[in-house]
Amino acid sequence: MTKSLHVTFRVGTADYALPAADVLHLESFEHATHVPGVPSYVAGLVQTRGRLIPVVDLRARFGLPPIEHAIDRRIVVVQVGPRVAGLLVDSAREVLQLDGDSFEKPPEILDHQSAGFVKAVATVMKRLYLLVDVPRVIGEELSHG
Amino acid sequence: MTERVDLQEFVGGFVAEAEELVAAASASLKEIEAANAAGTTRPKSVRDLFRALHTIKGLAGMIGVEPIVELAHAMETLVRAAERAGGTLRAGAVEVSVQAVQAISERVRAIAEQRTPQPAPESLLAALAATDASSEQPSAPPPIAKNWDARLSQGERQQLFVALRAGTPGWSLTFYPTEEKSARGISIATVRTRLAEVGELIKVVPRTLKGDDGKMRVAFDILLTGPTTAEALAEVVAATAAEVESIALAPEPAPAPSDEPDSDVTPMGRATVRVELARLDDLQEQLSLLIVSRYRFEREIARLHEVGQDVRRLREIADVQARQLRDLRRAILRARMVRVTEVLEPLSLLIRSLARPGLKELRLELDAAGAEVDKAVADRLLPAIIHLVRNAVDHAIEPLEERRRADKAPAGTIRVTCREVGGSQLELAISDDGRGIDRAAVARKAGKPIENDEDLLDVLTAPGFSTRDVVTQTSGRGVGMDIVRRIAVADLGGELTVHSELGAGTTFRLRVPVTIAIIDVFSFQCGPQAFVVPVAAVEEIFELSKSSEVLPPTRGHGGEITVSLLARGDRPLPVVSLGALLRIDDGRRAEKAMVVRRNGELLAFTVDRMIGRQEVVVRPLEDPLVHVAGIAGATDLGDGRPTLVLDLAELGAGIRERTRA
Repeated sequence: MTKSLHVTFRVGTADYALPAADVLHLESFEHATHVPGVPSYVAGLVQTRGRLIPVVDLRARFGLPPIEHAIDRRIVVVQVGPRVAGLLVDSAREVLQLDGDSFEKPPEILDHQSAGFVKAVATVMKRLYLLVDVPRVIGEELSHG
Repeated sequence: MTERVDLQEFVGGFVAEAEELVAAASASLKEIEAANAAGTTRPKSVRDLFRALHTIKGLAGMIGVEPIVELAHAMETLVRAAERAGGTLRAGAVEVSVQAVQAISERVRAIAEQRTPQPAPESLLAALAATDASSEQPSAPPPIAKNWDARLSQGERQQLFVALRAGTPGWSLTFYPTEEKSARGISIATVRTRLAEVGELIKVVPRTLKGDDGKMRVAFDILLTGPTTAEALAEVVAATAAEVESIALAPEPAPAPSDEPDSDVTPMGRATVRVELARLDDLQEQLSLLIVSRYRFEREIARLHEVGQDVRRLREIADVQARQLRDLRRAILRARMVRVTEVLEPLSLLIRSLARPGLKELRLELDAAGAEVDKAVADRLLPAIIHLVRNAVDHAIEPLEERRRADKAPAGTIRVTCREVGGSQLELAISDDGRGIDRAAVARKAGKPIENDEDLLDVLTAPGFSTRDVVTQTSGRGVGMDIVRRIAVADLGGELTVHSELGAGTTFRLRVPVTIAIIDVFSFQCGPQAFVVPVAAVEEIFELSKSSEVLPPTRGHGGEITVSLLARGDRPLPVVSLGALLRIDDGRRAEKAMVVRRNGELLAFTVDRMIGRQEVVVRPLEDPLVHVAGIAGATDLGDGRPTLVLDLAELGAGIRERTRA
């Protein structure tokens, strides 16, 4: 019964969702300053709305090959605790009301393959939405280092 | 040539001092105004005002800024009169004085920005001369020849009166045009022009009279002041000197002796030393060197301890030293601080100049409590605040009539508050009680929906965006909202937010650091991107010539990084490609090498080419995703994109490992 707003976006062939409450805003993607020596899935630094934020390339993070010309790419700016980071996605689709009850744990068989990046899966109108585990994606292990 | 350089050196000092004096002058004016409102007088404030003006005049004279000298002089004359009149400077005189201080302030700004200051406005100089310090109404009219008295307006009478009191002679004469004169080129037009050259025309009145032949003729009665002679004037109107009447004041009671002679006027009585910001920067740089050498010292203690030496006494000394260094750093930071109240001082002048009595009335509320801010931050921040205030007056505050209809207080209130948050940041709020921003209208103009304040700010701060098609006089110049955002965000590493309620008003909030790390850097290109390094970290930059480089033996295929050697001076210098080190080498031929010192050893990094040298604000990279050894932070070189600040010495640390096959 607990419906809440989710921002949905696409990476590769899959649709992903994030609670709108965790999303600060969306930005179009033009350029990120490469930072030498960071993990390969970090696209670089971007300056937006007064913040200097690291951007995680979700294609790289999710093991997909890079795409060269993508005009729809967006940065989903998320906040996790004190950290603010950007998620680079292929396209950001829409904001949806998703029913909390429709989410279920991803099949166990995916545990290793998806490295825990997917927290839950919802099927809405025969369409799959994967709920992203943001702390995992932006490297929660790094926060304690 | 050297003279020019000297002058340039003066200018920095002049601007700093003049700005302070302008702030002091407007503070005095406010005190005087408050006293007037309370029906009392503040002779001390009038004296302070006089001193500030006198000093400004002297300084401006020193570097030859005539418009400021003229303005300060005219004001000084007025204020001196007020001082002699027992410290009374009435509302009218305060009003004119405020305008004059504003005009001086604008010209000081111009000099600071290396523009040529505008000439002193004639109308303002005339108004200053025409204003009587101590009386609201003109005092006893001076004895004026002919029937001038009845024909002069109050302002004209004042103008004459003040000039006469200042010792400038006044003259009354009549020009009778004739055909014969006109044939010689003497007409009322040429007379006016020539008279304006020798003095200040106060009034020219035509009248008719019956000529010798019984015909009606026109004559012009002319009243002027100026350091000239009856003969010279007579010549202009083709009359005789006897027909030119000199006007003088009845002798005044002897002025009360002023409490100190003119030459003894000291600039401000406070125990203050003005220091150029660059010197404080220098001090800070020296301090960071001291901190570096302290680390060396600590390492040495640790090494001694490792080899079994007793280092307890050394440790104690080192601990005391560490504390002293911390105190020293705090003291230097304190020395850079200025009170926000003083920084915001020019706003009261601004508000006055923007108000239109009877049409748009304004009230300024300032509340900065005891907040202090780094002078470097203050200098960057003020233009942004001024723009926000201008914008508020221009776009937000409704005209008097509209406010009345909306049941609002007649005077629009601009409120600027400042408070410290968390000890290291300032929050400034610039609010107005105007009409608020119409989101729907802005959305239409921008062509995209606006759902919240963040969207609104995005649109407002988009370059070139204006809610008005007609650029108004006040907000059409200077910086736009995009620049306000740039100052707050990119330059100062702060935040800008807006909250607006239709009909109730708008608040812009700026959150900026109390102090910022501004460093002098070299910028250069390496591979596909630009970087900067602190100038202080670079020992030398030299042109590469491949011929002198030597490639020492490499084992097997060598490692990821190759170090070559170069004869530099009388020592071998290791050279490494920065592009290779950062894994961004794009195969371009490096042109330059930068030498840094690492643990006492020199090391050169090759880069594609140097871009330039500039001062930048460094922002730390705090997120663990981008926390990398050798990268000290990021800055904005003006393109809105982050540029990395490198710590070359630290980057050099990992080289040996990476040369391994």
